Amino acid sequence: MRLRISGALLRFTDYRSVIDVDAGTVEAALLQLADAHAPFRKVLLDRSGRIRATHKIFLNGEQLAPDQLARPAGASDQVDLITAISGG
Amino acid sequence: MRRWYSYRVPADTSLFTPLHLQPAAVCRLAFGAAAEWLRRHAVSHRALVAEHRTGLVLWAVQLLTGDPITFFDADQLDVEVTGRVRGGGSQFECEVAIGPATGERTRLHACLVPLRLEDDGALLGTPAALGPAVMDRFLADEVDQRPHRSPVPRLRAEITARARPLARARTPFVVHRHQCEIADQWFWAEAVALGERGREELVIAGADGLPLLRQAMRVPLQRLDILFQRPYFLFDEGTVASTAYEWYGGLAFVHEFLDAGDEGARRPRAVAIEQFPGESPS
Repeated sequence: MRLRISGALLRFTDYRSVIDVDAGTVEAALLQLADAHAPFRKVLLDRSGRIRATHKIFLNGEQLAPDQLARPAGASDQVDLITAISGG
Repeated sequence: MRRWYSYRVPADTSLFTPLHLQPAAVCRLAFGAAAEWLRRHAVSHRALVAEHRTGLVLWAVQLLTGDPITFFDADQLDVEVTGRVRGGGSQFECEVAIGPATGERTRLHACLVPLRLEDDGALLGTPAALGPAVMDRFLADEVDQRPHRSPVPRLRAEITARARPLARARTPFVVHRHQCEIADQWFWAEAVALGERGREELVIAGADGLPLLRQAMRVPLQRLDILFQRPYFLFDEGTVASTAYEWYGGLAFVHEFLDAGDEGARRPRAVAIEQFPGESPS
């Protein structure tokens, strides 16, 4: 699965904007990303381990609700992780 | 009574065009002025973010140009600023006047939306009203329950419905870090600079066939309105779609900030409208 990272999140993936992972679901892919990039874990997950609501997640262009992250996805799928807004 | 704060800044050459103050420079000065007002009268911008977990993001801006002033007119510029909350704490509004000691000053009105920030280190947030600990810092006269409404949707509809389009241009851009604020999100004043760039590209490309466009280089900007919907972030690719209109004897430029490759199907991330007066007969 191809993960695309952009914007305010890039500094947490060492400025890698495209990362390929081998996972069966969107959520598993995101957790794998968090495991591979330690600083990213705190940005992605809240204290209870859920993906923060500030992230918008798209599977092949379709936005997923938080309860849809267990959706199966394979090698040919693309997941975009978009930041809605930040407040510096 | 609302509290004001006044101070002076040196007038350096980077603040000016040959005609007037640089609009983007006015925006930067105004943002700093708003931060100074907050620090003196309510809560510092740093404490707001770090201690109250509250960010502020620009939503609407209006700039009204005052009497023309050039670099050679003053050694210093006076800056006056006041602030207040609106909409039950869902907006922070500041008004800034910048210019020489005498004459009509350039004025900027900005409406910012508070965000509740995550404890994520990335300063990501969601819109939320200011909390009571911050609201308590404002005087009664600095709290207006009515929300500010941007004039941009109505102005844009009026221009596109009634004015004659003269020329169009699309100017691509990439957001780099020098254009961003602390969270790698574009600094809002970049919209001013990118809109100006889109307008000047229109003039470069079209003025030989349409000399009227040069008016936008010969006279100072009269009024600028911007409405922000979604920010750009570091390395985001965008396009400024600019349209020039003949408007009340002068010119109006409508700049739509789109995603790269988007032909306007999606809602723009921002819309900026520049208005220029007609030239006075010499």
